[in-house]
Amino acid sequence: MVTIFRYAMRRSRGQVLGWGIGMALLGWMMVSVYDSLAGQEEALIDLVSVYPKELMAFFGSAEGMTSMFTPEGFLSLEFLSLAPVILGIYSVLMGSGLLVSDEEKGTLDLILAHPVTRTSLLGGRACAFAAATAGILAIIWLGFMTAMTRSSMEIGGLELLRPLLSLFAVLLLFGALALFLSMLLPSRRLAATVSGLLLVASYFVTSLARINENLEQIARFSPLNYYQSEKAFQHFNVQWLSGLLGVALLFVAVAWWSFQRRDIRVGGEGGWQVPKLVRRWRAARTQG
Amino acid sequence: MSGDLGILTQGMRKSYGRIRALRGIDLEVRRGEIFGFLGPNGAGKTTAIRCLLDLIRRDSGTARVLGIDPHKDPVAVRTRTGYLPGEMQLDENLTGEQQLHFLNDLRGGMADWSFVRQLADRLELDLRRPIRNLSKGNKIKIGVVQALMHRPELLMLDEPTFGLDPLMQQEVLRLLKEARAEGATVFFSSHVLSEVQATAERVAFIRKGLIVEVAETESLIARAVRRTHIYFRQPVDLGVLAHLQGVTILSRDDSRSVVLQVEGEMDGLIKALASLPVSDLETERPSLEDVFLAYYEGGGGEA
Repeated sequence: MVTIFRYAMRRSRGQVLGWGIGMALLGWMMVSVYDSLAGQEEALIDLVSVYPKELMAFFGSAEGMTSMFTPEGFLSLEFLSLAPVILGIYSVLMGSGLLVSDEEKGTLDLILAHPVTRTSLLGGRACAFAAATAGILAIIWLGFMTAMTRSSMEIGGLELLRPLLSLFAVLLLFGALALFLSMLLPSRRLAATVSGLLLVASYFVTSLARINENLEQIARFSPLNYYQSEKAFQHFNVQWLSGLLGVALLFVAVAWWSFQRRDIRVGGEGGWQVPKLVRRWRAARTQG
Repeated sequence: MSGDLGILTQGMRKSYGRIRALRGIDLEVRRGEIFGFLGPNGAGKTTAIRCLLDLIRRDSGTARVLGIDPHKDPVAVRTRTGYLPGEMQLDENLTGEQQLHFLNDLRGGMADWSFVRQLADRLELDLRRPIRNLSKGNKIKIGVVQALMHRPELLMLDEPTFGLDPLMQQEVLRLLKEARAEGATVFFSSHVLSEVQATAERVAFIRKGLIVEVAETESLIARAVRRTHIYFRQPVDLGVLAHLQGVTILSRDDSRSVVLQVEGEMDGLIKALASLPVSDLETERPSLEDVFLAYYEGGGGEA
């Protein structure tokens, strides 16, 4: 498992650096924008107040626009509200390809012909995915902390860690969902597409539920409903964090269960796994 | 009992949906032998090998590799086995050496690196080159090296020479013989019959998911139909040959030469020829291809 983890980490170096530095630069820019807005609060509130509330709902600040002039509110509005969707793309791509990418390329056959259990392969790769995601968030955190040393924006390192922790859980959840779907659907591409659509749907439902009470019930099932951006600065809800991580673990566990029972496909093959799993489950019950 | 065998399968079946890839194969590969697994494309060779490594799961039947059920303890099987997949795919971002290091690390670093370099040299393989720049043949060579590098007890090779030039094919077959000489069991699939003929001691024919024949390579050839040209010093009465069992006269020339088709052993023919003034005799040794085609065209072993 250590070897699998080590090589998976080596393979995701580029992803970690690319996404991490890219997002850190975006954060750096946001901190600079915050400084340039100082003293123009009233003019901006007038400007923003004419924006439709449906639009503002997507930035998570429909309740009170004045919060956008606090460091936490600004960071949430300009960066943290969009980060789950932007980094969600990374998460979904990585999760869907965690095992199936090698399977579709035909290299999984050779790896699993070595003394490696499927559990250790999945475990090593999943840990590497979590570590790579943490690495990206660490670069982002470092970028913000560096940018804030020259800025009037003052947020403590530990304070900034809280929303990033929540973001980490969301990213793990969508990565795990993509992994789970890659075990069931015929191709990595389809798994990534479906997971991506669910991510976007979750974003819309959660955002629109802020202005439409009818959507609140549906939003309870949306993972992003439990994502804490600005709220994390005030009151960090550990239960929500645990819930997101718990669901992520559940998806990984179901993916593991499915991976244990399925055939390794060789390059180019594909098929729906659900009917096979149901057939095997029925056969096992009959034999039992 | 199964512990004495390299590979044992009994009634092993595998289907992909409605396609029955293996329809109950029975196979025994002795330890320390080179065993050829012959069949046309789609016959079930790759499916059988992948079942034996637990890459895919058999639907029913028994399978033992070195006495171990591959489904129950796949790691134990794979620790002692070297495998070459039929479709050799490698990580294109690595060099040959990095790829082999990775695979060796998966085995806990069991390989002796000087042996790896020796194998690479013999196969004229430059391990420093990125895999994405390698030809298909060179990728297969990396596959051969990784299968052999930890000196496994059992080699399972799916078409090991496919895509290699003739010289390298010979070198790979030499490596297999050397592995056998060191005590390894070699199980390899092929549809190139000449290489099986030159290398394997026993051979199994698989067709449409069923083993149609398992035999010693030599005995299989001996059973085959062969063509014999006989030249006589003077015209002779060929009636004595025409009545021999398994002998058919294909053509004759002024009763001084004749072309015969002989099925099975040559003993009867040679004894009959002893009474005739034979000046020369040529026998075309049947290739496994002839044996193979004879089986398939005749529907030999069809369930």
